[in-house]
Amino acid sequence: MDEYSVGVLTNIGLFSFLALSAYLLLIAGEMSFGQQAFFGVGAYAGGVLTAIYGVPLPLAALAAMASGALAAVLIGLPTLRLRGLYFAMATLAAAEMARILFELLHFQREIGGALVGPDGTQGFRGIRWVFERGVEPLEYLAIVYGLLFIILVAFVRIERSHLGVTLRSIGADPELAASLGVDVNRLKLGVAAAAGALAALGGVLFAHHNTYIEPRNFDIMLGVHSLAYALIGGLGTAFGPLLGVLVDLGLLEGTRVFQGYRMIVFGGLVAVLLVFRPRGLLDERVVHWIHARAFKRP
Amino acid sequence: MLADLVQNTLDGLTAGAAYALLAVGFTLIFGVLRRVNLSYGAAILFGVYFATWTSLHFQADLLVLALLTIAATVLAGAYVERLCFAPHYPSRGSPRAGASSGSIAAMVASFALWMQFEEAAILALPQHLYAFPPLHTGEPLRFGQFFLRVESLYLLLAAVAVCALLYTILYRTRFGLAVRAVVDVPVAAQLAGINLSSVFVRIFALASAIGGLAGFLIAASHEQVTPMLGMWSTVKGMLAMMLGGLGSLPGAVAGGLVLGLVEAHSQWYFGPQMRDLIAYLLIFVLLALRPAWMTRWTSTRSAS
Repeated sequence: MDEYSVGVLTNIGLFSFLALSAYLLLIAGEMSFGQQAFFGVGAYAGGVLTAIYGVPLPLAALAAMASGALAAVLIGLPTLRLRGLYFAMATLAAAEMARILFELLHFQREIGGALVGPDGTQGFRGIRWVFERGVEPLEYLAIVYGLLFIILVAFVRIERSHLGVTLRSIGADPELAASLGVDVNRLKLGVAAAAGALAALGGVLFAHHNTYIEPRNFDIMLGVHSLAYALIGGLGTAFGPLLGVLVDLGLLEGTRVFQGYRMIVFGGLVAVLLVFRPRGLLDERVVHWIHARAFKRP
Repeated sequence: MLADLVQNTLDGLTAGAAYALLAVGFTLIFGVLRRVNLSYGAAILFGVYFATWTSLHFQADLLVLALLTIAATVLAGAYVERLCFAPHYPSRGSPRAGASSGSIAAMVASFALWMQFEEAAILALPQHLYAFPPLHTGEPLRFGQFFLRVESLYLLLAAVAVCALLYTILYRTRFGLAVRAVVDVPVAAQLAGINLSSVFVRIFALASAIGGLAGFLIAASHEQVTPMLGMWSTVKGMLAMMLGGLGSLPGAVAGGLVLGLVEAHSQWYFGPQMRDLIAYLLIFVLLALRPAWMTRWTSTRSAS
């Protein structure tokens, strides 16, 4: 595989984490405009740990996930009781605050004769842990997809479990779920924390893939894209968000056929698709149909 | 000290008038449809870029440019309405469900068209910055040591005129009655023979026209346009709407002015990054706390 294809595939994997994070909240009935903030928190936290303190990447990734989950809980506590669009707006405001805080963040240390660390709007250069360990692009690709595979297996298992059914019941009708004894608030907070950790994991991998991050990476555009990925792919299965990322990054950006017109094609495609499939390509009905076919008892 | 305070307040009102106009259009759609139109700013960008393109190629009067901007914005708005909102209108019952799949689909679809407008604008006029004919040439108004740009008076006047016009339409016409009925009790309005979709279409056209007017006045008072105008209009209009309590027209005007004032003062004392941070923090806290006056304004009855 040439370098370009590896790069495109890696990006597809990285943004899938973010799309899955948006998807997790969507099936629990919450539309967040702010998952990019946790992607950013993970990128910055992981980058600082490996580049400045020399922490090994696996440990840094765990710490980044913990900080993503913590940030998500802090934002979730005052906002998760808000309904629908109010929650979307509040998460949007929170994410923009996070982006501006990244712009104000100056934390540089001299490492090996060069200044390393977040330098406000100038960005954060030299997140070179992966590069310095001699990890090949193909190996990194394998790491990204290995982690993604583990997460997908977890998603599939959870969605078939009691917990998964409970989550979808909250998404469909929180009052009804609460009346059946589901602790809606606690469960939503847990979902927000898991989604934050998931986005942060994507962020830390993104930072170490690019070696350079800047606050602009984590703006509203990224957040709305991740929502769009989850929605066009479909809300019926965790493979939906992956399909969404694949359509945009793989088909449109990767093939370079629509260069210069990519957004016009993608935009039109998404809008028309949503006319016919308002819950995405792989929505609940399609997934149910596939299940019924594939696991039919003889 | 005091002189700075007064001058900043004047500057804040100028910016606030623009925000108020943007917020009125945004709020009209949100208040009636209960949907967020993310491509509101992008449609304005389309209108303003169309006028800019015209002014680059033809000799055009300022009034002609204003009408062209409004017409192109309404056209772009109609495209958004047909493709993103019309397919997701509720067939029966209430259109005001929370994060129902219809409202998510409409919002994401409108975001998709935002991408289209932005790329189309950049393809048509690829430079980062274009000059736009000025609204007013000459000295700003002076009051002793303070000055106020004449453009801001136009913006404030336009905001007042648009509000008066909307008030007349909503409270003095049959169409306004239909709109208020749809906002109050959608099901009853449908039973009384009001066509929901036709009300929505006309509200969308009205909001786009207001957005086009706002876009023209903003471009002509800044005397330049960049592709950032689309995102800027959507974000500022949305922020002002949120400050005003989501769905109230007087609230949108107040929210726009408050946003302008808060921005002007915090920029003066803390710099541009803190200005944005403070604006978002204010909105986050207001949304999280939901004080009584916000809930009152967002109650259905005062939504128009």
